[in-house]
Amino acid sequence: MRMHVLEFLRDRFLLITLHLICMGILSAFLRLTGYGAANLMIVLIFWSILLCVWLSVTYIKRNKYFEEAGRILNKVDRRYLLGELLPESSRLEDRFYRDMIRRSNKSVIERIKQIETSEKEYREYIENWVHEVKAPITGISLLCENGRKLDHTSAFDMRELLRNISLENQRIENYVNMALYYARSENVYKDFIIRKTNLQEIAEDVLEKNRLLLIQNGVRAEVDCPDPAYTDGKWIAFVMDQMILNSVKYCNAQPVFLIRTRRKQDGVCLTVEDNGVGIRSEELSRIFEKGFTGSNGRTHERATGMGLYLCRKLCDKLGVRLQAESEYGRGTRMTLLFPVSNYIERESKKD
Amino acid sequence: MAAKILIIEDEAVIRRELKILLENAMYETAALTEFQNILPQVREQSPDLILLDINLPGCSGFDLCTQIRGETDVPVVFLTSRTDSMDELNGLLKGGDDYITKPYQAPVLLARIGAVLKRVKGTQRKQTETTKFVCNGVELDLAGCMLVCGEKRADLTKAEMKILFQLFRYSGEYISRMDLIEYLWENKIFIDDNTLSVHMTRIREKLKKIGVSDLIVTKRGIGYRV
Repeated sequence: MRMHVLEFLRDRFLLITLHLICMGILSAFLRLTGYGAANLMIVLIFWSILLCVWLSVTYIKRNKYFEEAGRILNKVDRRYLLGELLPESSRLEDRFYRDMIRRSNKSVIERIKQIETSEKEYREYIENWVHEVKAPITGISLLCENGRKLDHTSAFDMRELLRNISLENQRIENYVNMALYYARSENVYKDFIIRKTNLQEIAEDVLEKNRLLLIQNGVRAEVDCPDPAYTDGKWIAFVMDQMILNSVKYCNAQPVFLIRTRRKQDGVCLTVEDNGVGIRSEELSRIFEKGFTGSNGRTHERATGMGLYLCRKLCDKLGVRLQAESEYGRGTRMTLLFPVSNYIERESKKD
Repeated sequence: MAAKILIIEDEAVIRRELKILLENAMYETAALTEFQNILPQVREQSPDLILLDINLPGCSGFDLCTQIRGETDVPVVFLTSRTDSMDELNGLLKGGDDYITKPYQAPVLLARIGAVLKRVKGTQRKQTETTKFVCNGVELDLAGCMLVCGEKRADLTKAEMKILFQLFRYSGEYISRMDLIEYLWENKIFIDDNTLSVHMTRIREKLKKIGVSDLIVTKRGIGYRV
């Protein structure tokens, strides 16, 4: 960083003009009071020399300071750390600037750190995801391989084979959905439409979609959701999907799922209840944390700790309250509370 | 006359299977395999409905829909793997009649195609569905939701009705318990194996009441048959 002399002078233009005007006024005054021209000349020359010396000293000092700063900037590889490395200066303005640069850099560094973390998490998630999705893919290729060897298959075996393939395919679909919603969870606002949503339909669709897995596990389910909610159906279907998948993952013999709604004063309340293994009370408060797998996740099927975390995140963005209650060994009840604003209430009464 | 459906989809497997699915549902189908000059091909085929993929090589289904709309009012149903609400809105704004996201369930797809055709043409393809099935002198009345044998009759619940419907429809064939449960789940009755047994017992009791004792044959490890 080098300052040009002319630039420096232009920067001090006001100061120099001020000096020149003062010189003019002084000479006019002295001339009027009868001061000699030669003496006046000496005064003016002396003044000019002083001004020049002062300007040159400032120029040299400033130039040195900025050259030093420029050199440091060129030398370091992480230039955003400049605030910490700027040479000491006695000038008040420099100290101010330095302080401000330091503060601004600090926030940049924090931001970078944040992005690095989320990028790392995302990368890890994708890697993990790829491994998980490979399981059903391998399953399908094995099924196909074994299916080909049965040369005189009965229609019965064939149906069984196809059912197993559909089951694995369904698992792939669930994984794919999860990745999509994870990617989108950062900016939900771009992609939801709040409208009157039939919860009965959504619950039935979710059960029907996962029917192969549920039937295989001997699940019986009851749906009783007469109350509509104002929300986005697609996202709620995803949340319900995760809940159902969790319920079936951690189920006991003869699982029964109950999906019900209840009208409350401040909204509609949807509960998904199962009679599965339940969650230990000391872990209950942490199940919505990212990456939390708990003792169930370790002893049962492997868990990613992503499903409920995503549910919580989406629910927060949709303004839906998500709660979990559980009795260990007896079952779990997940509750979604859809708030109803007074406005909607009034409007719907008008209809 | 069967409605003619034009499939514009670049994925070969999906195109082939869609064609089979629609032909099994008694539609006449045509599929494009060349995506350079789509518009003249559409004109040539003059379909009753177009199934349109959004990600086509070289062009977007949205633009294509706008072009098609410039010429004709043929209903367009978008098939896409995008699940964005904005895309859906976009699709409908460009003149699409419905928007179905992949992966779709075959029955849902057929139902929605049927609905669009019905809405647009004001007619439905001929329904040959009967409301009554008869087997061994026992009549299953779908409209009245009951079993009739001679003068006697027995009312059925929704689940019993669905089970009997499936058995009567494929009378003579064994239907496995698994298939029955699956069929019930598809019809929003979410039961397990034990509950199916309970339903079967109740159906047998009802049959006995109207004087039929050996209508449903059970074959261990295989399933049921009427």
